[in-house]
This record gives sequence, C-alpha cells and structure tokens, in this order.
Amino acid sequence: MLKTKGKVIAVIAAMAIAVTGAMTAPATAAAKIKIGVTVYDMSSFITQGKEGMQAFANANNIQLVWLSAGGDVATQASQVEQLINQKVKGIIIVPVQADSLAPQVKAAKAAKIPVFAVNTTLKDSSGLTSSVLPDDVAAGAQEMEQMAKALGGKGNIVILQGPLGSSPELNRTAGIEKVLAKYPNIKVLAKDTANWGRDQATNKVKNWLSSFGDKINGIVAENDDMGLGAVQALKEANKKLPVVGIDGIQDGLAAVAAGDFIGSSLQHGRVELAAGLAVALMVAQGKSVKKTYTYVMPPITPANVAQYTKNVVTDKDAFLKRLPAVIAKNLKSGNIANEN
Amino acid sequence: MSNKNTSALGNLEEIKKVNWDKERVTNLLVRNSMVFVLLLVIGYFSFKNDGFLTLPNLRTILIASAPFALITLGQTLVILTGGIDLSVGSVIALATMTSAKFVVTYPDQFWFAIALGIFVGFIAGIINGVVVAYLNVTPFVTTLGMLTIASGLAYAIGNGAPINGLPERWGNIANTKFFGFQSPVFVMIAGFIIIGVIMTRTSFGLRIYAVGGNRVAAEVAGVNSRRILIYVYAISGTLAGLSGVILSSRVISGPPNLGSGYELSAIAAVVIGGASLMGGRGTIWGSFLGLLLIQTLNNGLDILIIPAYWQRVISGVLIISAVTVDMWATKRSSK
Repeated sequence: MLKTKGKVIAVIAAMAIAVTGAMTAPATAAAKIKIGVTVYDMSSFITQGKEGMQAFANANNIQLVWLSAGGDVATQASQVEQLINQKVKGIIIVPVQADSLAPQVKAAKAAKIPVFAVNTTLKDSSGLTSSVLPDDVAAGAQEMEQMAKALGGKGNIVILQGPLGSSPELNRTAGIEKVLAKYPNIKVLAKDTANWGRDQATNKVKNWLSSFGDKINGIVAENDDMGLGAVQALKEANKKLPVVGIDGIQDGLAAVAAGDFIGSSLQHGRVELAAGLAVALMVAQGKSVKKTYTYVMPPITPANVAQYTKNVVTDKDAFLKRLPAVIAKNLKSGNIANEN
Repeated sequence: MSNKNTSALGNLEEIKKVNWDKERVTNLLVRNSMVFVLLLVIGYFSFKNDGFLTLPNLRTILIASAPFALITLGQTLVILTGGIDLSVGSVIALATMTSAKFVVTYPDQFWFAIALGIFVGFIAGIINGVVVAYLNVTPFVTTLGMLTIASGLAYAIGNGAPINGLPERWGNIANTKFFGFQSPVFVMIAGFIIIGVIMTRTSFGLRIYAVGGNRVAAEVAGVNSRRILIYVYAISGTLAGLSGVILSSRVISGPPNLGSGYELSAIAAVVIGGASLMGGRGTIWGSFLGLLLIQTLNNGLDILIIPAYWQRVISGVLIISAVTVDMWATKRSSK
C-alpha cells in the first residue's frame, strides 16, 4: 500500500515537473521525447537498425519504446494501439505486411500522434506523416547494370528471385527488367525463386549448370544470400562466373572483397532506421518534413568495399558514434543513404 | 514395400495358377512400381535434355539429396512405429545455429562445434521420445511443439539474425571431395546401408516393425515399446542434427530458417516409398526410392526450366498418386 502510494506521488511529481518544465522552459533537456517503434521481427537488418536508432536516440534525448511483432500482423496492430495509449510523440512502423494497420493508423491520427513507415510502406499511406523507404527498383536496376558492365553488354544470365510476389522481389525484378530492355544482347536463360535462401540457391544454380553447361555467363541474385549460394554452386562445379547481389550483409561484403561477387548494393539498417527516427524527431519538434524520403542503396564495388565493411562490420562502433551527425546531415541534403 | 505380404501373395498365386503369366507380370510391376516410375522419370529427362544424364549432374542430385536423406531415414523409423516427426526441419535449424554460433565464437574448436550440433539434435530427439513414450502425448502434437520450440531457439541463438562470418574451414565438412563426390554423399550412402541392415537383419529392426504393427501384441511378446520409441525419436533427432551441420557447412553460414519445411519433404519421401502412416509397414529401400524420385524431379524440372510453383504442383500430384497406387496394390495383395 505504502509502496503504491509512493509510486503515485512519484508519478504525480514527475508529471508536474514535466508539465511545468514544458511550460516554462521547452529548451531544457529535462524530459525525454518518447517515440515508439514496432518492427516486423528481429531480422539481421532490424538488429542493425535497432543499433542505429539507439545511437541516434542517445544523442538526441529520445526515449525509444521498442516493440517487435514477431512476424504477426495482429501483434503489430495491438502494439500500435499500446503505443497510442502510452501517448508517445511519434510511432514508427516497419510493417509486417503492407496491407494492414489501417484502423490503428486512423486511431493514432485521432489521438494526434504522427505515424511513420520505414523500410516497407503501408498500402493506405494517406494516414502516414512521412516515410523512409528503400528504392528496390533502383537496387535491381543497379545490380543489373553492374552485371551488364561486367559482361560487356552481351551474354547469357540466370536470375535468382526473392519469394515470388513479395514487394522487394517484385520491385527488384522490375528494376532488373528495366535495365535488360536496354541490352538486347543479354539473354535470360532462366529465372526462378530461391526464397532468399543460400541452400535453395545452391541447388537451383547447380541444376541450371547441368542444364546450360558453359552457356551461362553471369548470375544475378536479388539478395546476397542467394548470390552466396550461387558462389557455392560454382565452387562445387569448379567454375568461376561473375555473381552480383543486393543488401551488403557481412558475408556479401566479404564476397565482394574476395572477388566472388562483382558487386552488391548496400542496404544499411543502421542508417535507414535511424533516418526514420530522425524524421519522427523533426515532426515531434514541430519542423516540417517531406512526405517520402528515399534510401537509394549505394553500390558496393571492389574499390569501396573496405570502407563499407568497416562501417557495417569491423568498425561499427566508431560508425555508430558518428551516425547521429551523419543522419542530421543526410536529412538536410536528402541523400539518406550517405555514410560520411 | 511389404516384402512379407508380397511373398505371401506370390505363394497364393502359384497355388491358384490362374492367368499365371499375366498375374506374375502385374505383380512384378506393382511390387516395384516406384523403380519403374523412377526409370520413367529418368528416361523422360534424359530424352528432353542432354545435361541430365551426366556424371556432374549425378553428383548434383546426390549432394542435394544428402541432407534430406538423413532426415528421411530418421523419419522412416518414426513412421514405422506409427508416429511422425514434424520437428526435424526446426532441429536442423537449431543444430545449424548452435554449431555456427559456437564455431564463430571459438574458431579453433572445430570438432567440438560439429559434435555440439549433432548432440543438440540428439537431445531434441530424446525429449520427443520421452514425451511420446512416457507422457503418451501423440507424436503429432509432441513434435509440432518441438518444431516451434526448436525454431524459436534457433532464432534466439542469433538474436533473430543469421550468423555470418563463419571460418572458411567450416566449409570443409561438406565440401571435401572423394572420387569427385562431396563427403555428405558418402554419409548418405553409409546411412542407408547401416540403417537398412539394422532394419532387415537385427532384432532391433524387427522390434520397430512390431511396435508399429501392434504395440499391445509387441509388448505381450516382450518388446519394451517405450524404449523402442525413445530410440527411434533419438535417432531421428540425431540425424537431423547431423543434417544441420552438413547444410550449414555447405553454405558456410547459420541461417535460423535453414531446413524449414524439410520435414514435409522427408515425410513425402517415406510415403512415396510405400510406408503406411499407421505404422508397421514400409522399408528403407522404399524411402530411398522415394527420396531419389523427389530429388530427381527437383533437379530435372529445374533443368527443363519449369517454374518453382509448377514444381510444387507436380510434387503434390506425385505424392497423392504414389499413395493411391500403393493402397491399390495393398488391397490387391490382401484379396
């Protein structure tokens, strides 16, 4: 009983301080700005992203309320409701599914809480204050350009796609096809899904090698994991062909450095998600923001792979230290994916 | 398939001596239907594409089969007892993540990491076995629970993320070649021979059939059915652990979703091979043929550039028709 009473008094006191603080001196850093985040699940991309957000939050007096939906739409919906009840100053959603959360976004709007989508948009984006989204079409186009350059504009390729019908797969495939239209001398021998997986890609590429023998000149994979599966298949068959991926995961960066990949495209969770938090902060501070910020994945090449490996893997702590400043700069310049 | 049944059938037919030649040919076909289907499939693919019937492609099919072979073997034993092991796919993931995490943290403890992965599979199998045998929870529910638990643990080990940056040496397990074939191919062949011999030549094998055929009768005859159940689930789990180590070595990484859905492939192979999900009926040879048929189809359909979604349709049709033919054959032989 006494304990609860103490708690109540403490809460009232804290509220009083917060209210008076807000009224008298809004510039003082006494009260932290509370921003809620709900992510689809803890993938490696999101794990990186959390580090980036935390670094930005620490530097900018933000209190992060971090929730993971474990891949479940219903969980994510109730998490958004929970954040509304907590009266956070902004809700960042990395959606489980694009076609969801419409009632929750509406409820947030009614409670005057701005909502942001990061990494994947919502089908009904009208209720969103702003979004930070990767350009998957550009990433697909970029990897196809990298391959076209390596092949000198002609040759036969095979394409490993993501899970058919998923939005990154559709967009990356669209980007690849856009570039292919420019190169009539590049022929697609086969394209099929390996569901983002290394094991599936290994078997798929080995089967294609049986089918086409030496006719294949290059392998385009819509993510690094499948590209690495292709590299494994080539090693097993004692062959060496140009392979290109997307995402810049640790092993993908190592593959570029080792010459197993001709290149990749970097989707750096720390930068992308921290940018989302920065946009939410700007809105909480009453600043105006753009409707959409696009994260254009920088190309990873043998020339720049060393620097990106430092930022993503070997020297990530140093990178996290300078990340808040980088993000602030990026929002001004509009180049969201910049890392310098 | 059921050797005992068919040999009994053979005797019966000889006594009858009706349409002797025709009956004999039909029986031969029915008894070995899967071999003929497999030969038919091989013939078709060879005819359609020059790349199919080659030594490198044989290697390709065998190395792709190896991880599935191990869990198919375990699954066969479990199904023979009338059970099912839905957890093997997740146990693969758990073993993968355990050994990947260990070898990334202690790169010099190479052998220990391998042993740890296999051991984790063994433990998962033992738990399945004890729950099924002593707590009398149905195998479906028990292993469904283990599927969820092992998958959750696999994600927990990597904090939800795949493990990257495994030492190059980790790749040696699955990528060392003998006579041009990668090592898992030999593990697969050894597995089939050893378990094949156990099932046909030892009393342990007979007891597994007995428990699946009629558990009460087996117990009256002095078989410790609970112990047998624990053994088969432990073997299934251990083989899944080994399969996980091999898979993670082949791709030199630790993806927490590795092996997801593999259990269905293994069950399909066993069923196509003529085993009854009610237990007591099925052979290692049949499962071997079932596995080979599925893997040959995967390979051949890729070679003919049939999209993945049509491959699924074809596999589904195959499973249903195999079981239909098998049921028809069984009915015929029991007439």
